[in-house]
Amino acid sequence: MTEPSDDLEQRFRDALPDPGERDCPPADAFWAAAAGELPFDQVRALVDHGARCARCAEAWRILADVRRAAAASDTVGANPPPPVPLGPAAPARAWARRRALVPLAVSALAATVVWTVLRPSPPGAPAVERGNGAGTTLRAESPPVQPANEALLRWSEVPGASSYNVTVLTPDLVVVHQAVGVSARELRLPEGVRRRAAGGGLLWNVDAVLPDGRTVASPTFELKLKER
Amino acid sequence: MTPTRGGDSGSLDPDPASVERIRQVLIRAVERHCPPALAAHREDLVQMALVRLLERPGAGEGTNPRGASYLWRVAYTVVIDEIRRFRRQQRQAEQASGGERVTPGPEARSELLACLDALQDRRRTAVILHLQGFKTGEVASALGWTEKQAENLVYRGLADLRACLGGGER
Repeated sequence: MTEPSDDLEQRFRDALPDPGERDCPPADAFWAAAAGELPFDQVRALVDHGARCARCAEAWRILADVRRAAAASDTVGANPPPPVPLGPAAPARAWARRRALVPLAVSALAATVVWTVLRPSPPGAPAVERGNGAGTTLRAESPPVQPANEALLRWSEVPGASSYNVTVLTPDLVVVHQAVGVSARELRLPEGVRRRAAGGGLLWNVDAVLPDGRTVASPTFELKLKER
Repeated sequence: MTPTRGGDSGSLDPDPASVERIRQVLIRAVERHCPPALAAHREDLVQMALVRLLERPGAGEGTNPRGASYLWRVAYTVVIDEIRRFRRQQRQAEQASGGERVTPGPEARSELLACLDALQDRRRTAVILHLQGFKTGEVASALGWTEKQAENLVYRGLADLRACLGGGER
């Protein structure tokens, strides 16, 4: 366990300068970093930025809360039933009632564990697993270095996927192209993107969308575009 | 950005209960983490962000929902964009009314930030995420480490940080 660091957290927040909104990364880059979609160097750059900019530190802290709530929603469903309030009086009676509920709670917990392990994938609780899916992995099938004027992204098939969503980013994580609902397993980069990135690099990733709404996410791939 | 759409429609397709849950979480997060002047507008900010989210192409129309995780992700990005937009508008309003706003100058580096800078890369990254409110499991997920590795790096990083601060506070 780590030592409590409340004092350091407060000092850290108080120490952060507010340089205005200069060179702040897009919010989606923070999400991608927290989701484990980016290589360490890029996460480090984003995290370091959050230690130089009070506004982005705020975005990181909001992110921590939001991702935790999202994870909880995925686990227990969006609308868990509210807890049954105990009456304000008679604490002994309440305690006896709680004790009586213990076997029931244990059974319910066991049933929940069994259900969680054995259930089919529910349509209401899709999961995004970027690059670490247990059985299915999405691989890049196009070369990592390509001529700029013919750049084509191609990826491996995810059985049963109904479509694919592709995101293309610059190395500093600005999204330059998104293609949603692509039926094929390849995407030709638009000319504007190719021209912009010619002689340099791009990052890209792809999400396979399954018929039940779940998403299988690829790792983030690099692409270098050579000028002819 | 040049969004394009392929043959199959991808959409957010949010259901009202999910949107309401996300709204409540965002309001609470803005209230917790933003300065009071901004947090006072949390309801409006989050509402505006959700309106933008639902106005996005594909929201609510498709038969191929992209899932709750994607909805949370988009909701987070639109609310941060909305906070940034709100601040820009506030600054413009202050400038238009002739109000003199102090432009932050080069900050004297705080001792704590200097000590953070001095940490080894992996420890620094782990410690900063920890100080931003990430638990060790979440630090591990972000950085592709095991939870044990993340815990060790946070622990050692915090120890280094305290030692550095202790040295400076003599």
